[in-house]
Amino acid sequence: MKGTRYVLTGVFLGLLVMLASSGTDQALAHKEKHTPDQLKAFEDVFMEQVKIGDLLFHGDGATEKKLRVTLSKTGMACAMCHPFGSDNHPYEFPKFQEQINKFATLRDMINWCIEKPNEGVKIDPDGDAMKALETYIYWSNKGSKLDPGRH
Amino acid sequence: MDDHDRLELARDKARRAWWRKARASSEIRRTRQEMDQELRRPGERPDPSLAITRRIFLHKSLLAGATAGAATYGWFPLVNTLDLAFGAEAFKFAWVSDNHLYPKNVNTRFVEKATRAVKEVQAMSPPADFLIHGGDLAQLGDPVELDLGSDILKEVKIRKVFIPGEHDWYLDMGAKWQQLFGPPNWTFDHKGVRFVGVDTVSRGPDYWTAKKMTPKERMGHMATLDGSVAGAWAGVGRDQLEWLNRTLSNWPKANPIVIFTHNPLYEYYPPWNFWVRDWREVHEVLKPYSNVTNVHGHTHQVLYNEIGKMRSIGMLATSWTWPYPPEGVPVLTRCKVRVDPGDHFDGVGWSRLTMTAAGKIENQYVMWRKDKDIFADAPWDSGCADNINQILQPRIADREWPYYGAYK
Ligand SMILES: [Fe+2]
Ligand SMILES: [Fe+2]
Repeated sequence: MKGTRYVLTGVFLGLLVMLASSGTDQALAHKEKHTPDQLKAFEDVFMEQVKIGDLLFHGDGATEKKLRVTLSKTGMACAMCHPFGSDNHPYEFPKFQEQINKFATLRDMINWCIEKPNEGVKIDPDGDAMKALETYIYWSNKGSKLDPGRH
Repeated sequence: MDDHDRLELARDKARRAWWRKARASSEIRRTRQEMDQELRRPGERPDPSLAITRRIFLHKSLLAGATAGAATYGWFPLVNTLDLAFGAEAFKFAWVSDNHLYPKNVNTRFVEKATRAVKEVQAMSPPADFLIHGGDLAQLGDPVELDLGSDILKEVKIRKVFIPGEHDWYLDMGAKWQQLFGPPNWTFDHKGVRFVGVDTVSRGPDYWTAKKMTPKERMGHMATLDGSVAGAWAGVGRDQLEWLNRTLSNWPKANPIVIFTHNPLYEYYPPWNFWVRDWREVHEVLKPYSNVTNVHGHTHQVLYNEIGKMRSIGMLATSWTWPYPPEGVPVLTRCKVRVDPGDHFDGVGWSRLTMTAAGKIENQYVMWRKDKDIFADAPWDSGCADNINQILQPRIADREWPYYGAYK
């Protein structure tokens, strides 16, 4: 049920964005002033991802199923070590990540956490679940100072 | 001065600046200090015998940084000692808590760690006089989880006392837990010390009836540390405050009292419920007593604080560690080291507490990761100083109703 709702909302917002920008030369899109409706639509698209990410991050089984991912096999959810998305420090990436022993992006680290501590199944680094998780983590840390490379 | 010295000096300066920034004053800290001032008469200290050990002495730079602009009595107790005025006998006791057991087939790691703690307690030589289990034995209050925990704890043959955690309670409102472990609060005197177990979890305001939650949903919200649906659930309550008052009333004011609670008895980041909501009232009750130590679980991290004349020590979990919140870490806490999430034994363990013949209590964290000190040295290795760029906001799911997400 919720799945249908997400998809429908997504389609609806997509249409809204297209309608709002129709009649505008694509290349010139950003030279036009945005309407409040457009801004609202952009925000809605973003917040929808935040919400999906929030659910995944807090171990919601239904959302995992819908997106066909297994983020954990230990009962542990991301938020159990990262309440409010803390200690994720997304603003420090990319950086050398000791555990992985390589220069890593936030997505690399998300997958490492899924595979190692959570004993789950690595997810598609460009897939919907990854985008949602990344969105939630960035949103949770909104306002933090960007400091890439810091360990 | 050679290059090496200059480098050390620069590092030292950086460290100090970092600590200062990490511990910048906050609303929570102000409230706490106000409360502290109200409870403590001029010149009073919680106890005169907190020792600066040699190990701490070596961390002078750290000390200087953290105390700048903070309390005047700022040092970091590595070993917490407490004077016993009445010549108590030497004895040890052990603390184990926050095992968060799932059913055996879901998570074997937590079972292994709970078992390890219990075995190590049993192997203590000389043996501990008793084991205090500080709550959160189970993860979701499931009778299967509580039975599993109870079985594991049977390995310990010495006296055992128990207080509940919120994870033990909110599936069946403590029915199974009480059946296994008895009443959630109690008191006993042992070798000159009055020990009191206080229940800080069972008096959560009803957040489930109006929303027609199933017991599982109720438990799910309670188990979500960064959720706000369960509200400010941790509290001592009028009735128990009165009980505590009565319980202590015949005890000489200067004699040692040790209070066990699941949650810390001071305001410490309410958004994660790292506190009890009526902590001020607790301190009102404790005000006449000059020798009170509170030992608590729930926060899964190294914590030390002093409020009024009460000292407070936070214990490790056996399961996993919580990060320090973005604000409100007590100035007196020497923080836990940053842990490696890839090592299940890093930052977790139990505690060995000793009452020495000289009449002092020492707390020794038994952290399992080999060759790593539980305390941070450099701020960038510290769990409460490495996130100075971090600004957090509460989760989105709580801001909408119908609520759409909790642990299932
Ligand atoms: Fe816990
Ligand atoms: Fe707890």
